[in-house]
Amino acid sequence: MSGFTISRRQMLASSAMLLASTAMPTFGWAQTPKKGGRLVLAADSEPRNLNPAIVASNGVFFISSKIVETLAEASFDGKDGLAPRLALSWEGAADGLSVTFKLRDGVKWHDGKPFTSADVAFSALQVWKPLQNLGRTVFKDLAAVDTPDDLTAVFKFAKPTPFQLIRNALPALSSVVPKHIYEVGKIEDNPANNAPIGTGPFKFGEYKAGQYYRLTKNTDYWGKDEPYLDEIIYQVLPDRTSAASALEAEEIQLAAFSAVPLADLDRISKVPGLKVISKGYEGLTYQLVVEINHRRKELADLKVRQAIAHAIDKDFVVKTVFLGYAATATGPVPKNDPQFYTADVPTYAFDVAKANALLDEAGYRRGADGNRFSLKLLPAPYFNETKQFGDYLRQALAAIGIDAQLVNNDSAAHIKAVYTDHAFDLAVGPPVFRGDPAISTTILVQSGIPDGVPFSNQGGYKNDALDALIAKASETLDTTARTDLYKEFQKQVAADLPLINVAEWSFISVARDTVGNIANNPRWAVSNWADTYLES
Amino acid sequence: MSPLRCFLRTPEAVAGAILLAALIAMALSAALLFPGDPQAIAGPALLPPFQDWSLPLGTDRLGRDVLAELFHGARTSLAVGLAAAAAALAIGSVVGTLAGFAGGLVDEVLMRITDAFQTVPGFLLALAFVSVVGPSLGIVVIAIALGTWPGPARVARAEVLSIRERDYVAGARVIGMHPLAIAFREVLPNALPPVLAMSSVIVAAAILTEAALSFLGLGDPNRVTWGGMIAEGRAVLRTAPFLSIVPGIALVLTVLGVYLAGEGIVETTAVRRGLS
Repeated sequence: MSGFTISRRQMLASSAMLLASTAMPTFGWAQTPKKGGRLVLAADSEPRNLNPAIVASNGVFFISSKIVETLAEASFDGKDGLAPRLALSWEGAADGLSVTFKLRDGVKWHDGKPFTSADVAFSALQVWKPLQNLGRTVFKDLAAVDTPDDLTAVFKFAKPTPFQLIRNALPALSSVVPKHIYEVGKIEDNPANNAPIGTGPFKFGEYKAGQYYRLTKNTDYWGKDEPYLDEIIYQVLPDRTSAASALEAEEIQLAAFSAVPLADLDRISKVPGLKVISKGYEGLTYQLVVEINHRRKELADLKVRQAIAHAIDKDFVVKTVFLGYAATATGPVPKNDPQFYTADVPTYAFDVAKANALLDEAGYRRGADGNRFSLKLLPAPYFNETKQFGDYLRQALAAIGIDAQLVNNDSAAHIKAVYTDHAFDLAVGPPVFRGDPAISTTILVQSGIPDGVPFSNQGGYKNDALDALIAKASETLDTTARTDLYKEFQKQVAADLPLINVAEWSFISVARDTVGNIANNPRWAVSNWADTYLES
Repeated sequence: MSPLRCFLRTPEAVAGAILLAALIAMALSAALLFPGDPQAIAGPALLPPFQDWSLPLGTDRLGRDVLAELFHGARTSLAVGLAAAAAALAIGSVVGTLAGFAGGLVDEVLMRITDAFQTVPGFLLALAFVSVVGPSLGIVVIAIALGTWPGPARVARAEVLSIRERDYVAGARVIGMHPLAIAFREVLPNALPPVLAMSSVIVAAAILTEAALSFLGLGDPNRVTWGGMIAEGRAVLRTAPFLSIVPGIALVLTVLGVYLAGEGIVETTAVRRGLS
């Protein structure tokens, strides 16, 4: 018996050494990517429109950013956090009325036609400005795009537009589509929206509904020796628990966008051959926000909103709901933003006694059943975490005598209930911070937005001082002055609480050890993957 | 032989009765043993069972007491099961009696409607109904009843068809009773026993349907339900399987108990009828 134990130990020791000896050279190779191979990964949604120039959302980018490229991509070490893609340089005029892009030479569309400044002009004027969900705001004053030669595009604005905003918008908003494909017929109905044609390292192969998307290598790609992979297969796995098993069974090599549930990460990080990576999403920060309907007279009272903010234990939320894969929030700009974030804002420590005192002060005393008043709470159904936070918030509000009734809806019904019908008192929403508050953040608190615009201020909040501040920032050209205005914006939002920012989170990738060059830029999952490779 | 002794003679009926009694005790004692909100956060998250004796069955993703949720979930399951079965039996026997007693065009119309409901799978009907109207306990009860009433209706109609030819019904006609009064005073009570015999199956099916609806996120989110507990546990199935297994076992035992006890009652009444 004891002999067996010893021999087993020896076995373990020698096998560990064997493992180590194979692991060593692996690290050495990591610098020289191998060519070839097929990357299979999990996809949890199947967007119908794959045109990122029209639908600028992460679900679309995840697939189409490999096919259709932007003018620039986010970067960890590039100037202003950018790396060139289709544009080599960009320069804003001092008066804020024009931005000049120098384009890359020798780039070809997947159908062989050359890429020129005419494509950029067409995309900006015909697609981004009139059709794109985010471009409508950022490019609203774009009047013309001059093309003095094939490799120069000059954006002309009718009103001064901050260059900082245009720069920050490049990674997500500047997908260039081919003019010669889109100029015939209606852009929204173009077949290329479902089978995109771009300049990217991969070409669209095929799509089988409910099964997979297949992308194939673009042998004519402008990047030297790139791409390394021959093929990318997006295996549709809508069930979140199945991604983890598929990784373990080596059916897929990568699960991005937290396809593996957070609760499973601890276990899966111990599985040999798999790695858990929390980098590569710095440019895609989601914010956990309590949206407030200011039409309710109780919620229109600042003291009540402060009481709710004091009732939420943000550390508990980060620790329990997000299992530590998140950060507590102080205001409308996430802590990891390098340009705009300021910690110098009013904060609301977790303090149930203070919350109760504030509600008493506001005149909402507890009734005989211990409740002060009742609220309808609608957690957004898109993420497990938003639903779980809804469950938590109900308990947190119960502790201060507010009876919250949960209402669960599917995605379409939730968007209609909150953003069109305003049939909510509190809602839990996950807005995205996209590198500049003017892209998709100020819209959350600004007044005068028509009904039905999703992820905007639909709570009936109106603050003239804040509106004036937002308007002023949108026409301030000087980068420092503009940044300072947005710091002031954060202060005012945190003080007046049009909404309550609870936490900021991003995603986790789980990959097999053989996948190389993962997470090497802040928007890695939605970047072009030209340098991603497989060791085998 | 007294009916009770007859009932106690069949071991499966006794087992069923014990399970059912335990379930009812759980449902009734929930508010006493676990006062307050069962969804309140009671301890650290994902505590495994049998670690801390103040939280014997551990805690879920948010740190809620699984045992308290289980007890309060028993209430929901039982309430929905009984209410849905009662509604289905009430609708079914009324429709069946009217169809069988009136005959002719009324019979045709009512039975074709019954057929229409019977051809749609009950669960799909419930699913569609709840998604349109919105989830709350009352709606879930109606949704389940909507898919289950055709069964009792058909049984009631068949029974009424044979009863309406009996002499006492003819007598009632002769003394000038209103046809509706005959149908509901004279005929329906006599047609009920075989309809009631279906109740155990209906209750069991209703509890399962409620659990399935909650599992799909269409239960009332403000109440603890076993189906909802299983659904929540599913996300952490690999790391904390007890979160799905515990309510799963409760569900199995409940359905088994209801079914066995029901069967026992049916057999007892059958024996008594045979004897008399």
